[in-house]
Parts: sequence; C-alpha cells; structure tokens
Amino acid sequence: MTSSPSDPELAVHPLQEFADTAAEAVGGEAEIQFDTIKLRVPADQWVDALTKARDNLDLVFFSWLSAIDWANDVEVGDTLNEETEERIELLCTVCDLTEGRRITFSTDLPNEKPSVASLVEVYVGANWHEREAAEMFGIEFEGHPDPGPLYLPDAFLGNPLKKSYPLLSREVKPWPGTVDVEDMPEKPSTENPEA
Amino acid sequence: MVTDSDLTKHLSEAQVSVELQTEDMTLNIGPQHPSTHGVLRLVARVNGERCFDVRPVIGYMHRGYEKLSEVRTYLQITALINRIDWVSGYANEIPFIVAAEKLMDVEVPERAQYIRLILTEMARVSSHLIFMASYPLELGAATPLFFALRDRERVLDLLEGVTGGRFHPNFNRIGGVKPNAGAGPTTKKTPQDLPAGFLAETRDAMSVVLHTCEEIEDLVGGNEIFRARTKGLGVLPPEVGAAFGVSGPNLRASGVKFDLRKVESYLPYDKFDFDVVVGENGDCWDRWWVRLQEIRESAKIIQQAVDGIPPSGPLQAKVPKLIKVPKGETYVRAENPKGEMGYYMVSDGGTGPYRLKIRSASFSNISMLSWILEGVLVPDIIAIMGSLDFVLGDVDR
Repeated sequence: MTSSPSDPELAVHPLQEFADTAAEAVGGEAEIQFDTIKLRVPADQWVDALTKARDNLDLVFFSWLSAIDWANDVEVGDTLNEETEERIELLCTVCDLTEGRRITFSTDLPNEKPSVASLVEVYVGANWHEREAAEMFGIEFEGHPDPGPLYLPDAFLGNPLKKSYPLLSREVKPWPGTVDVEDMPEKPSTENPEA
Repeated sequence: MVTDSDLTKHLSEAQVSVELQTEDMTLNIGPQHPSTHGVLRLVARVNGERCFDVRPVIGYMHRGYEKLSEVRTYLQITALINRIDWVSGYANEIPFIVAAEKLMDVEVPERAQYIRLILTEMARVSSHLIFMASYPLELGAATPLFFALRDRERVLDLLEGVTGGRFHPNFNRIGGVKPNAGAGPTTKKTPQDLPAGFLAETRDAMSVVLHTCEEIEDLVGGNEIFRARTKGLGVLPPEVGAAFGVSGPNLRASGVKFDLRKVESYLPYDKFDFDVVVGENGDCWDRWWVRLQEIRESAKIIQQAVDGIPPSGPLQAKVPKLIKVPKGETYVRAENPKGEMGYYMVSDGGTGPYRLKIRSASFSNISMLSWILEGVLVPDIIAIMGSLDFVLGDVDR
C-alpha cells in the first residue's frame, strides 16, 4: 500500500477510499502503487468484474488491455532480480469520464495455454486490444468475435512479447556491439589523380 | 424476325434487371492513400455508392516498440517514442518521462515544468494545424493548407530553436529538460538555457496563430461545400465512443467534457485558465470545430505560461549519472493532441523497463472505423477518416 517512497507509511493515500469502494463493489484485492489502483481478480471472474466496474462504478471508458510475461528466463533484456512465479498477468485499464478515476484490473493466467473469456461484449473497444494481446502473448480469448492476427503477418510463428522470444536484431548483432568507437574508414586520397 | 413488341419487351426487361440486379464489389483502399496518413488499408464491400462491412487492415508500420523498449535504457527509449505519433513527437515523451520520474520520486524544477508545458502545447498547436491543413485538402480545398502550414512552420522553428529537432526533439531527461548545445551560455555558472528571445517570439507567434484561426474559421468554416460535406456526417454517440476507447478531441466533439489536462497532474495545467471545448453532435464538422478551438485554447495557455514562467532557475533535478528506476509499476496518461496517450511502466530496478505498455490514442480511435463507416457513401469514407485525425505511427507503434 505505498503511494510513493517518500510518503509516511501510515498516511492514507487520497485514492484509498475509491480503491476500497471498488474492491467491495467488484470483489478482489485492491493495491495502490504510485497513484495507480490495481485490482486483482481471479481469472474466472474477469468479465464479471469488468461488467460491474462499468455498471456500478461508472468506469465506462475502455483505455487499454495488455499483459506482462513474468518469466525467470529471458532471451533479451534484463532478468528479474528475484525469482518470480512464472505466469502471464493480464491487465486492463478502464476509466470514468467525469473525475478521471481509473482502475487497472489484473488477473493471473497460467504460462501454458493461457485462456480467458473475451471482454468484447462488455467493452466493444477490447476487440483490437485482445487481438493484439492474443498474438503477442499467445493468450486465447474465448468468445472473441473476430480472432486472428492484427499486426503480424498470417504465417508468423511465435509470440513476440513473450520473454522467451528472441529479438532478431540482437541475435544478428549482439549489444553493445563494438565497445569502443568503430575504426574510421581509410582516408580517401587527397591527391586528385587527374590533376 | 424481331418485332416491335419484342424490342419493347426486351427493353422493359433490361430496365427491370438494371434496377434489381446489383452486385457487391470489394473495394480496396490503401495501404498507400494520401488520406490514410501513413499505411492503412481498408477493405470495403461496396454496393452502388454505399459501403458495408469495412475492415481496416493495420500492421504495415508495426515496429515493435514495446519489445524494443525491453532492451533499451530509459534514456534511449525517449528517442524511440518520439516516433510513435510523429506529428506531435514532443508530446509523446511527457507521459513516459513522468512515469519514470514518479517511480524514481524525482521532483522536477518548476522552470523545467513550464518549458515542458509550453512545448507540449506547441506540439498540440502544430498537430492541430496539420489537421487544419490536411482535412480541407482531403475534401478538395487546397488553400487552407498554405495558411495552416505557414504558421505551423513558425511554431516548429521555435520548437527547433529550443530542442534542436523539428519533429523528434528527444528533449526530456529524467528530472528535467536538456536544451540543445548553442541554445544559451554554457559556462558552469550559467548553464544552457532557452535561446535568447524565445519567450518574446513565442508570444508573437501565438498572436499570429490566433489570427490564423480567425482566417481559417472564415475561409473553411464559412465554405458552403465544406459545411455540406461535414455536417451531420459520421456521427459518433458519446457512449459508443467511450466503449471503443475513443479519446481526445474526437470524444469531446461528441459532447463529453473530459480533458486529462484537467484531471491528471502530469504538468502544472491547474495554474492556467483554459476551457475544455466540446461539440454538440459528434459529427465531422464538430471534430473539425473542436480542434480549431483547441488551437485557440493552447495559444492562450502558452501565452499565460510565457508570462508566468520563473525567470531563472535550474532545468534539471539532481539524478544519478546512471539512471536506475526502482522497482514498481505505474500508469501515467496524458492528453496528447490525438487523445489519451499513456505508458504502463513496469520496472524491476534495472536500467530499462521490464515491460512498457504503450497506450496510443489513434489505435483506439480508429478501432471503431468499421462501426462508423457502416453504410456510408464511398466519398464520405475519406471525409470521416480525415476528421478522426489519426497517424499510423500512433496506431501501429
């Protein structure tokens, strides 16, 4: 329950009241991190929780949906400092259009064959976001009206945003390349041969 | 032998068949079409002049910024995210930098905050001026382009004077801003600062922009053809827009009085007096009109900020040489010219984010294209798409 590291630990965050109301109305566990309310719900209550958020909390604006691949082995980038439970964390932020309140919903999906019910019936804007999450993380959205790749070509293999997916440019030329400045090309002759 | 009655019979049959037998045609628009602002492809089923079942095909410009961010440092990522919405590159940096500063608990000096605010509003003015130029052009009027681009160039010159880049400033650093070399004295006692005369020139440029708004309002808004082509066309009800995640001027044109500059505290907008302009009907005309008014509001904000900016002071807070962002997650969003732009940043204490989700405005704004283009006339496709003011770099990321 930290808002920012400088705050005294016992001070009540201004968002705390809304976070508690939301957790009560929707069910789940609210946590405030750096002015962002994250509400954890079980995967089987995913659609139910967001329906309640839309109807009871007036969070009618669909902001975004995406995921995080929590993995201990990564192909590119930095590894986590501490060992974590390997999972796909699905995130979805919805907002109201009056006071600027927003909640990021979160649910954990298994690493192998992650699957969750689609939100398109609740927020029609989830359509493209779910298609993106599906191809990038390999999540299956049950009941999605129009599944299929969004960005990637049809024959593309793999899920690029998974931590196990290598970055091709880094495979071809490892970072940081030549540590020192690369050698200068040879100086062109200053003499003009035709002179 | 053909008799007269045979002929008439044949003719009458021909007429009947012309009226009854119409065939659907698949019309492919793009990926290269000037009105798509990048590479967007539309596949529409056309029956006569009406089109149905319009399917946008995107991804021609997908550069994988979210993956690339995972192997870059925070300093390097600002160079990348400039290229998301390249029409307002500067505004893209703000929510990212603010998110990193929030995780690091860095307080940005007030003067740096004012500079950020002035430049963000300049990016909004230049982005909306591009819209003022291109939208009438898409509807067949070339003259407004010259009016709008003339002033946009002036705004970009000012932006370039401070940052060194017209389109991709890459100007924000964690903890402040970094004026380009040569922008001011660089001795140890007097660090780099804004170029001399910047504030006065900005004030002048804004009065010119305000004057041009009058001209554009007369020239374009008073044009019968423009009114006929845009009024009542492409109506977006506010509840549909919200469910699709349509944000920014597109949603405000539908009458939703909601502006992230008023509710989020990423820059000190609470110190300035400006209105949130809303439209009435949510049609193409309103989307054009709201953007025109937003230029005026932005010019007002810039003029106030130029008057109120602290005359001197540091531009950079004290941060470590090697930027490491402490462990944490946050979502910071900002009102960009195109709508809500935000970054969900997950840090694990390293020199780069563990995961960076980029929420870009145009992606959600055009995800409703199939809905809004259902049953419209073929020439109206361009009129509606143009009014949404999207950039494909912002769609594909």
